[in-house]
Amino acid sequence: MRKKVMARLVSVVLIMVLMMTMLTGCRFGFASDPDDPNAEEKKEPIDTSTDTFEYDASLNGTNITLLNTKAEIQVALEEMGVEYEKKSGVHVEVMPVSDDSPYTKMISLYNSGNPPTIAILDTTDVIALAEEKGVDMSEEKWVSEAEGYLTKINGKIYSFPLCIEGRGIIYNKTVIEKALGETFDPASITTLDEFQAFLDRLVENGIEKPVSMAKEDWSLGAHHLQYIYETYDGTSEGAQKVVEEIKAGTLDLNTYNRMSEFLDIFDVLKEYNVAKGDPLGADYDEMAIDLADGKTAFWFNGNWAWPNLVEAGAEETDEYGFLPYFMNNDKEDFANQMIQGAPSKQVMVDRQIATEKEQAAGRQFLNWIVFSEIGQQMLVKTCNIIPPFQNNPYEPSDPLSRDIYEKVHAQKAFSASVIVPNDHWAVLGAAMQKYLAGRSDRRELMESIQDYWDEQE
Amino acid sequence: MKQTTIGGTKRKVTNILAMLGLIIIFIAYMFPFIMVVINSLKQKRDIIKSPFSWLFTIKGLSFDNFVKAFTQMDFLNAFKNSLIVTVSATVLVTLLAAMLAYYIVRHNNGISKLTFGLMVASMIIPFQAIMIPLVSIYGGTLNLLNHRITLIFLHTGFSMAMSVFMFHGFIKGNVPLALEEAAYIDGCTHSQTFFKIVLPLLKPIISTMVILNSLAFWNDFLLPSLVLTDKKLLTLPLSTYSFYGTYSADYGTIMAGLLLCVVPILVLYVALQKQIIGGVVAGAVK
Amino acid sequence: MKSKNNGKDFCMFALPGMFCFFAVVIVPFIYGVYLTFTDWNGVATVKNFVGFKNFGGVVKDAQFWSSLLLTFKYVIFVVIIVNVLAFAIAYLLTRGMKGENFFRAGFFTPNLIGGIVLGYIWQFVFSRVFVSIGESTGWKLFEVSWLSDPTNAFIALVVVSVWQLSGYMILIYVAGFMGLSEDVMEAASIDGASGFVKLKSIIMPLMMSSITICLFLTLSRAFMVYDVNLSLTAGAPYGTTEMAAMHVYEKAFTSRQFGVGQSEALILFIIVACISGIQVYLTKRQEVEA
Repeated sequence: MRKKVMARLVSVVLIMVLMMTMLTGCRFGFASDPDDPNAEEKKEPIDTSTDTFEYDASLNGTNITLLNTKAEIQVALEEMGVEYEKKSGVHVEVMPVSDDSPYTKMISLYNSGNPPTIAILDTTDVIALAEEKGVDMSEEKWVSEAEGYLTKINGKIYSFPLCIEGRGIIYNKTVIEKALGETFDPASITTLDEFQAFLDRLVENGIEKPVSMAKEDWSLGAHHLQYIYETYDGTSEGAQKVVEEIKAGTLDLNTYNRMSEFLDIFDVLKEYNVAKGDPLGADYDEMAIDLADGKTAFWFNGNWAWPNLVEAGAEETDEYGFLPYFMNNDKEDFANQMIQGAPSKQVMVDRQIATEKEQAAGRQFLNWIVFSEIGQQMLVKTCNIIPPFQNNPYEPSDPLSRDIYEKVHAQKAFSASVIVPNDHWAVLGAAMQKYLAGRSDRRELMESIQDYWDEQE
Repeated sequence: MKQTTIGGTKRKVTNILAMLGLIIIFIAYMFPFIMVVINSLKQKRDIIKSPFSWLFTIKGLSFDNFVKAFTQMDFLNAFKNSLIVTVSATVLVTLLAAMLAYYIVRHNNGISKLTFGLMVASMIIPFQAIMIPLVSIYGGTLNLLNHRITLIFLHTGFSMAMSVFMFHGFIKGNVPLALEEAAYIDGCTHSQTFFKIVLPLLKPIISTMVILNSLAFWNDFLLPSLVLTDKKLLTLPLSTYSFYGTYSADYGTIMAGLLLCVVPILVLYVALQKQIIGGVVAGAVK
Repeated sequence: MKSKNNGKDFCMFALPGMFCFFAVVIVPFIYGVYLTFTDWNGVATVKNFVGFKNFGGVVKDAQFWSSLLLTFKYVIFVVIIVNVLAFAIAYLLTRGMKGENFFRAGFFTPNLIGGIVLGYIWQFVFSRVFVSIGESTGWKLFEVSWLSDPTNAFIALVVVSVWQLSGYMILIYVAGFMGLSEDVMEAASIDGASGFVKLKSIIMPLMMSSITICLFLTLSRAFMVYDVNLSLTAGAPYGTTEMAAMHVYEKAFTSRQFGVGQSEALILFIIVACISGIQVYLTKRQEVEA
């Protein structure tokens, strides 16, 4: 009896294997499918012929570790490490973070007595760790090239800005033009009313629900809500001032105009949301597909969404770009003209455990990224990053990054980035979800925001 | 089968009903696994757009995900690492826990009671609560991280409590003292008695514990991620890190990777089924 | 085994296992308890003793207490459903039916899916399968994703937990049934005991040790639920499904209040220890010894 069952089990497995083999057979028939999204991405070649960077020969043979918390550039960083080792003799071991948050990983690594020499972190993490653990890099050569993107803690610079990331309302130009039958000039929309009128036209022309918005708390709590701080005057200092005033109770959210303006545009996006019937049931990956396919025309997100769009079938030659987050109907308001683009990942060098030599090798690596021809190329082409360094001549190749790059260089972007406690996105993201789902009103949302700040010391 | 010959028509009817109910529940249980199998053959776009569509209706169905997972995970090396860790830790914990549980059952003294009580209580400790103290002791103070041996030792320690608890319950309920006493009369030493008489009686529970423990060790992510950073030592679950992005994950490859990881466990399970059945105590006492 | 070489027995049988256990679990735990009395944030090089200040923070953390209440509710559902279901399935699977092994392998599969895949697949079931059923049938129940409504999201959590945990408990119950002497079952059948009587007066008492173990395991695992919580709902919608263990973790690492998080973990531990202690005590009394 049992043997019979075993035999049957084996035969079932065999049949499955056979079926799969047949299926692969089928697959080869389709192998020439030009739309195959899994087709090997072609890599831009890196020109390594010129290299004027001066390497410190005494660092040859040093081993350093690099903690990477930007999962999508893991492979690219490993390639960079290999190139750097070829030139400098310094071996770079790239450590990934996948399950934990960067901060948790840092805590466990410091406790294990084995912290990374260099760590790619979020700004809040740097602020929490830098003064005790980080190398003071105020005097580094690259500082002068990153003007406007530096984070100072009590007047000192402990971190290296790795990339610029920007966010706004992503549009798919082709879809819009196809629906309206005319050319689309993103600059023609300058106010919230114009934006809404434009949405109405899209609706009339067959795109019933033209907007996608993510339900994720990091999107709602950080990327949406933080506009209330960052649009205060478009500077990081201004954003910090608003935070201090809300905390101190001197700024009343009920009368703060950026608060109500923010909710005005949020309400518009909410109204035209493709998932309006069930906004909290929206699926992030599906939004990329909807935008690429033309079911929607807009998606509130940042340039990090590009890999998702590629998976959804978008190509580098397609025309995507950003609209500002229109806060009101004042054409002169910078918030309606510019998108936000700020440094997002910060690199810190450890001084607590790392030896002098390791620290020097780590700092040299950072300078190599900024000043060597190879490093400059790899940062942009291999990592697909928008560099915050003025001397880097390379332009990013995907349309979203390119749009931000161009806007940054045309003074069409503001670099305000607010520093809030680490749980801001989680706690207030939940409050925003409630508002998005229509289960709370403006008053309740503002109360949650005020309560959150009241609880902070 | 025995029951059907004993009972009448009524029994047959209930049997058929039970069977039917079982099949329905069975399908519900299997469903997610089937989804993983089907979707591991698809591209991400198809997974998102039509996760349930039947295999044959989608073109571009392929083993690409498996190939990609296999190479990116450095599968053979990771497999070897996982195998070493899982097998050593499973053997170690099974043996040590069986002995400790046997000792506790047969010696009802203070140490036994205290140890057993602590073990039961410790199973409730949330791992996150001792995560940081653990790395600061084994890493910061003793500097033992990044060795396979450390991971094996930690796995053994963490699963000790539950294994002892399981063996304890089984020995108490299913191992008759009379057998051991007979062995002593025949002149057996304690260790002879344990290894020759008691251990064979534990087969069903040993098989169960081997499955449960090796499953836990094989699939564990958190503990190995704290202990191992050296690429050459990474276990299977750790080696899938490159499929996860900050904003989105590569589902097709993850599912293919998952299947590659769990196949050995499934095989082990099917193989041990026999042992569970073979180890029935019936008749041993007579 | 109550002979003179008790010491030798102890060293050989008990000591190695005890050493592993104490070194790996108890020592870090004690160190962790010590940390709750300091202001250490997880990384700083200095720790100051602050007495019970962290516990004061726990008392003030209203979210912790409400997550604890939700966890209680969840535990009650999960423990009952898991054990009834797993017991019944294990019973059916050990009666010598056709294709038993195949079935068992199937019921084993929930153990194989964890982490992000688990969350992804089940999100699909609740957000897509159910919604498309709703669309075609017009049933209100399936109109929107279960995960966007607090009550339904809670039910979804229970469903997935039951699926996963019972897959595990079936294994233990099967081992228990296999350990039962066939003679007992046979004798009961010949005596003509009806199904229910047989179950109540013969099987249940003999299965008590398995029941003790499974109850204990489901109880503690349900209280400590973290993975399923994180991958399925991550507390969504708007923080209404955040269970205690997840809250503790968030407190320690997302809100960066390490001391308070660690203290909450300790309090959670004490509560669960008391409850499972009572349970083990009660069910152990019912066990019959061989």
